[in-house]
Amino acid sequence: MILATEECDLTNSNVCAPSEVTELFEFRTPIRIGDVTLEILGFPITRSVVLILFVALVVIALLFFGLRKKAAQPGKFQLSIEGIMGFVRDEVAVGIIGPEGGKFFPYLLALFLFILIGNVFEVTPFINFPITSRMAIPLFLALVTYVIFIAVGLRRQGFRYIGEIIWPPGVPVGLKPLVGIIEFFSIFFVRPFSLAVRLFANLVAGHVMLTVLLLTAYVSITSIGEIGLVKGLFGFAWLALALAIYMFEVIVILLQAYIFTLLSAVYIETSMHPQH
Amino acid sequence: MEAISGSLALIGYGLAAIGPGVGIGIIAGNAVQAMARQPEAAGMVRTTMFLGIAFTEALALIGFVLFFLT
Repeated sequence: MILATEECDLTNSNVCAPSEVTELFEFRTPIRIGDVTLEILGFPITRSVVLILFVALVVIALLFFGLRKKAAQPGKFQLSIEGIMGFVRDEVAVGIIGPEGGKFFPYLLALFLFILIGNVFEVTPFINFPITSRMAIPLFLALVTYVIFIAVGLRRQGFRYIGEIIWPPGVPVGLKPLVGIIEFFSIFFVRPFSLAVRLFANLVAGHVMLTVLLLTAYVSITSIGEIGLVKGLFGFAWLALALAIYMFEVIVILLQAYIFTLLSAVYIETSMHPQH
Repeated sequence: MEAISGSLALIGYGLAAIGPGVGIGIIAGNAVQAMARQPEAAGMVRTTMFLGIAFTEALALIGFVLFFLT
């Protein structure tokens, strides 16, 4: 069982677990080959970096092999990849942004697939570690969306964009200062922050819950000799609960990827058409 | 008071989760009602429901993250 720790010393203790919960949010130890620490541009390569590259590779492989043979009667794999692309385009890009959504479709598709595969690593058997549970990934993706929707607004309307998005049409003049401050903070600060935190907190909550429950079940069951049969059999109750949470996590994974993409599209749409 | 120990952050998170719980219930209930009244609009209602749920759930999750930070 690969848990959330970096150094795992299976000869000394039964399981490996982080020493305290804040260790989940710290910088991890790098991978070493013999005596050499691998580095890219001065940053050590940790397990998270390897997993991020692996996710990117999986996404590229999915799209490449799915769309390679453009057969008139597509096989099952091509059909499913085209189904995902059609869903993102019709429901999210064109459905929300309108006819000009086609320009943002590549970005939204890449976002959706990257977050989806990154989340799916939480439930794949040997890699129980979602890369989106480290704040860097959701934060960076939210910042990219932030830059995109502000750039779209500034390009369409110039600097009037800020005035138009803070004061929707129909705001009475007397209320303009108050509404202006509230809307300014809500749009320029709360939006990227909440976008990142929503994805991050959902994933880290699921990961921590699964880790704790499975760890408790494993320790209870394997140390029946030490703590007695009754306490050991309680491990099965934890295992059942862990399996239930596992199934719930599968829904959360899909939903969070969809919601991130949907909200990115909604923010881009309100930048393009601030009349509503 | 020595028998009770623990973190105040946990109580804070519990209190923070009341509001979004009620809010999501209201959103989902109204969405089900809207879909029952007009089944043709079910797709648009479902999309808007997910949007509303995401916004309100973010508040509960900010509380969860702040629990880890303290």
